[in-house]
Amino acid sequence: MNKQALVEVKNLKTYFYTEEGIVKAVDGVDYEIYPGETLGIVGESGCGKSVTSLSIMRLVESPPGRIEAGEINFQGKDLTKISEKEMRKIRGNDISMIFQEPMTSLNPVYTVGDQIIEAIMLHKDVNRKEARKQAIDMLKKVGIPLPEQRVDEYPHQLSGGMRQRVMIAMALSCDPKLLIADEPTTALDVTIQAQILELMNSLKESYGMSIMMITHDLGVIAEVSDRVAVMYAGKVVEYTDVDTLFDDPKHPYTWGLMNSIPKLDKDVDRLEAIPGSVPSPLNFPKGCKFNTRCPLAEGKCYDEEPPLEEAAAGHKVRCWRYKDLEEIKKRGERIYEDRGVQK
Amino acid sequence: MAENLLEVKNLKKYFPVKAGIFKKTVAHVKAVDDISFAVKEGETLGLVGESGCGKSTTGRTILRLLEATAGEVIFEGKSVMDLDKKAMRAIRRDMQIIFQDPYASLNPRMTVADIVGEPLDIHKLAKNKKERNEKVREILENVGLGAEYMHRYPHEFSGGQRQRIGVARALAVDPKLIIADEPVSALDVSVQAQVVNLLQDLQKEYGLTYLFIAHDLSVVKHISDRVAVMYLGKIVELTDKHELYSNPKHPYTQSLLSAIPEADPKKKKNRIVLEGDVPSPVDPPSGCRFHPRCPKAFEPCSVKEPEFKEYGDGHFAACHLLDK
Repeated sequence: MNKQALVEVKNLKTYFYTEEGIVKAVDGVDYEIYPGETLGIVGESGCGKSVTSLSIMRLVESPPGRIEAGEINFQGKDLTKISEKEMRKIRGNDISMIFQEPMTSLNPVYTVGDQIIEAIMLHKDVNRKEARKQAIDMLKKVGIPLPEQRVDEYPHQLSGGMRQRVMIAMALSCDPKLLIADEPTTALDVTIQAQILELMNSLKESYGMSIMMITHDLGVIAEVSDRVAVMYAGKVVEYTDVDTLFDDPKHPYTWGLMNSIPKLDKDVDRLEAIPGSVPSPLNFPKGCKFNTRCPLAEGKCYDEEPPLEEAAAGHKVRCWRYKDLEEIKKRGERIYEDRGVQK
Repeated sequence: MAENLLEVKNLKKYFPVKAGIFKKTVAHVKAVDDISFAVKEGETLGLVGESGCGKSTTGRTILRLLEATAGEVIFEGKSVMDLDKKAMRAIRRDMQIIFQDPYASLNPRMTVADIVGEPLDIHKLAKNKKERNEKVREILENVGLGAEYMHRYPHEFSGGQRQRIGVARALAVDPKLIIADEPVSALDVSVQAQVVNLLQDLQKEYGLTYLFIAHDLSVVKHISDRVAVMYLGKIVELTDKHELYSNPKHPYTQSLLSAIPEADPKKKKNRIVLEGDVPSPVDPPSGCRFHPRCPKAFEPCSVKEPEFKEYGDGHFAACHLLDK
């Protein structure tokens, strides 16, 4: 790609210093987000997907957390180096964020209008009357019925889907260049989730912003992303465009994730479950961090961590044995053995 | 044709809404409002719906963890609604439940051996301590946990392992029916598959019957034989899973199916995006409860409640459109 990246994350490391030891939540992550695209970040709980986004926003609580190394380049500035004062100008203005739980991220004692107006007045040179007008306008844009009335309501008077719309209205009120959405639909019902995803897609087009979509749901990823980074244990293990990822997953973890979810249009007798569970970040295995669960792991996998290497044009994978996986896929075999009922 | 193990007839569960200093009942939340279905021996019936549709309340009312407002639950030909406490306890040996949250449903002060062994004690299924421990060990191995875990506490386990302990506890008394209330929704994707596989294996091994309650339609389709779709306290459609997914008759089922984001970026679906939110069960809409959100609603929908009836070959639905 020749385009200039909007955000460029290079070798980002965010560690937490706890009493039990150092938690390497994000341990050397690289990715880029281009203008107008949606980058999906997918992974299971504890893989570091949320911490990378908090690092971009510089919202990692310190102590115990600290950005240990790396660069986050945004419009010619390294966000890890600038002062808090400068960061405050960017946060909520150029980069804004929506969270999973819309109830806890809205202040219950202020009306939704007050909260949106606060954001607008903080970043734009407008008076309260004008800000209120803009807030009502935003609420209308995110599809809230009767925005003139809703603007004076409190968060508890709104349903979950409405609250998430308010969050989106607030996040977009200052025309951000990047919207970070951390599991924005996880707490919502499927029919409401469909509404919110549709809204985000249409707003992305009309605003021309970039979105970083963090989720554990491959369905959501397939729906909204242009490119995807799959994370496991603090690292990106696969990184490519969305069609290639679903057509030709090269990392055994990605392959396992895709085959462990049942499909609506295909019947299988048994799901291909990845054995075991995510290792504790206090005690990652030596070598490839997936080696405790990987059916292909052998020799080198236990000694040396594989690099994120370009397996095909624009398709990066962190695995010593991705070529062997290719062969297995060609033969149409399942790679995850069934443990079944133990006798 | 297999026998009905469980029959639910016109089941209702209303929760009173109290207000004022005298706690006068001012209204009712109609969580489950007149539903009927049957579960055949050895099958898995999936019960799906969005939050607040009454699916969990249904499960709990069947086990009489909540007392029903009206209706009947018949288990193996016997009504369980008028059994006294002692008789009910005896019958719970055959009907067990697995809960959603593996963190909240295990007592943190009990070891795994005690958690799994407690039902054995209650139903006096082990003669002495040695026999009890032997049984616990066997059950734990069946759910994929080694005997070395017996003397550990719940906090030492991951979510997936805890859910295995929950399954082991339900299995301990050798039940016929297991009501699984969102057993995998709190788990990570890769671990979900492990627990789903385990439930299927155990079903084969022990000939279990499941009532599988979940909001995730793909998981429900995978594990169930037949599926019932609930909306606001009512069952709107019930049929064989293949029929339901290939030929959904109720507009709610259709939109629900189209709303699921599928893990296939090339598939551009004709999505039916529903307007608005689920209405409150305190004051449900008149006529068909789905009519304010239904893209196909016409005159009778807001006035008359559609009847839940069969439209050929075990395909039940409640919608006026089908009688047009």
